[in-house]
Amino acid sequence: MNNPFKLGDMLRTGLTSIECGDSIAREIDEKVVAIPADLNSYGYDPWGFSPKVFRDYLLPAAIMYRHYFRCITRGIEHIPEGRCMLIGNHAGQVAFDGLMVMTAMVLEARPPRLARAMGEYWLGSLPWLGVLLDRIGSSVGTPQTCADMLEHGECILAFPEGIRGMNKTYADAYQLQEFGLGFMRLALQTNTPIVPFSVVGSEEQAPSIANLEGIGRLIGAPAFPITLTWPWLGPLGMIPLPTRYHIDFGEPMYFDGDPTDEDDVLIEKVESVKANIQSMIRDGLARRESIFF
Amino acid sequence: MKKVLITGISGGQGRLLARRLTGEWDVTGVDRIPWIGAPEEILIETLDLRKRRLRNVIRLSRPDAVVHLAFVRHFRSDPRVRHSVNVEGTQHLLENCAEFGVKRVIILSSSYVYGAQPDNPRYMHEDHPLNVSRTFPEIRDLTEVEGLASTFLWRYPEIATSILRPVNTLGYYVHSAIGRYFKLDLLPTIAGFDPMMQFIHEDDLCEAIALALEHDLRGVFNVTGSGALPLKQAIRAIGKRRLSLPEPLADLLIGQAFRWNIYEFPPSALEFLKYPCTISGRRFQEATGFEPKLTLEDIFESVSR
Repeated sequence: MNNPFKLGDMLRTGLTSIECGDSIAREIDEKVVAIPADLNSYGYDPWGFSPKVFRDYLLPAAIMYRHYFRCITRGIEHIPEGRCMLIGNHAGQVAFDGLMVMTAMVLEARPPRLARAMGEYWLGSLPWLGVLLDRIGSSVGTPQTCADMLEHGECILAFPEGIRGMNKTYADAYQLQEFGLGFMRLALQTNTPIVPFSVVGSEEQAPSIANLEGIGRLIGAPAFPITLTWPWLGPLGMIPLPTRYHIDFGEPMYFDGDPTDEDDVLIEKVESVKANIQSMIRDGLARRESIFF
Repeated sequence: MKKVLITGISGGQGRLLARRLTGEWDVTGVDRIPWIGAPEEILIETLDLRKRRLRNVIRLSRPDAVVHLAFVRHFRSDPRVRHSVNVEGTQHLLENCAEFGVKRVIILSSSYVYGAQPDNPRYMHEDHPLNVSRTFPEIRDLTEVEGLASTFLWRYPEIATSILRPVNTLGYYVHSAIGRYFKLDLLPTIAGFDPMMQFIHEDDLCEAIALALEHDLRGVFNVTGSGALPLKQAIRAIGKRRLSLPEPLADLLIGQAFRWNIYEFPPSALEFLKYPCTISGRRFQEATGFEPKLTLEDIFESVSR
């Protein structure tokens, strides 16, 4: 019946029948098992993470990682043991950047880690997607859930720009939008190192000309971007262009201070993270020779 | 021996608790329905909590502690009756507890008071707002009862009052909402939704109440069992069949079935089949040392056929 488990099975069967799919599937199986997780006897962790479902859905993501976006990942050795927070730039209309960072954390990190994405609140109300979010170890990003996960030693993935970054128009490409302060409060509260990362390539996967928020509001979505292919080609228009992704992880940043400090004090710390990411983006862009190759 | 008065003693949880406390406590019980076959040493009065006879029972028996379990938890009767029994019954009981020197009061609320919302934090703490009436007004009497209880808590600091909010309770004896749902032949679920749910066994809940009585517990406490599982996985573990309905169809069908008295839960209860309402039981565990003994497997075993 219509549950994500069955769809995951079908994806797996389909994708392992092609050659590159089969070898990646075997690699994923090995690595997902090595992810430290607090599973009950039915195979779920307290937040609803299921390695089995994760494994099945990671397969298409990993094929994209290797063969579609052909990600070049640097600096993954900076990921510290135990709790940490991955903070980076968000772009590309659909959150493939988050997906690719999660995939990198499994395929490239030693040992493999589960990056738990903190999703927009409205994702929880969407059928299937909301469940899938939980099963792959992510969650609706309420501060309390995030703090609990950090206390538990988890790795959190967050985009403080949120949809401001993801759904900006191409005119603002690679310019960081306003950062929320929530992540810094949580980092201070739980004494968590912040690992800044930059993704280069995501801006060109779906350059947007305009964002018709009004229409978005009508259909209950937070944004309604107009790209070269969306909405003109229907659902096909959501397929990103095959740009090459460059993912760079920076050295962990340690902060201390009072999480209940005034916004002004927090903004200073947030700006230092933001500046770090912006310079990593600049380096990434300078190093890049071609958008697609 | 100290005396305890249990309201709702003839219900599943009431009987279990009465048996658990006998020997350590001198147990008296009140309920609207009699308990046929009750142990001899337990004195039971059949009465309505809202009526004056309750006052006489408390005045004569002078209990040291009161455990309040007498709530209408089903939706079959007139909603006004449910509201009146739960809210006025609690108010009348609390007034008499204050007047006749009761030293401890335990009120069995429910984790449902937090409500099931898509953006709920996972594992909510006791200070989270009680949002259930936003989407499920049929059980707002539970939050009103909590309001009465909190007022009582600060008005009578000399009485150790505690409000327990247990998660979904399952077992052979209790007739909890989730227990009745799991007893259906075909369980409706909503396509595309599968929230994490926590469960506690009736024996563990009994133990938790007994611990709350032993310790001079004051305040509000979540009570959790041994873990959480997605709803659909729980249904599989119990060995039941389910019918996955698209949301708009479920609203329509269940609305009609409820109106015609074929199905016992109103459509707004569907929120709990869609969104999480998970709570953290750490505060209670730290205050009492409570450790649930039964695993999820044991819990499902006790209700599967």
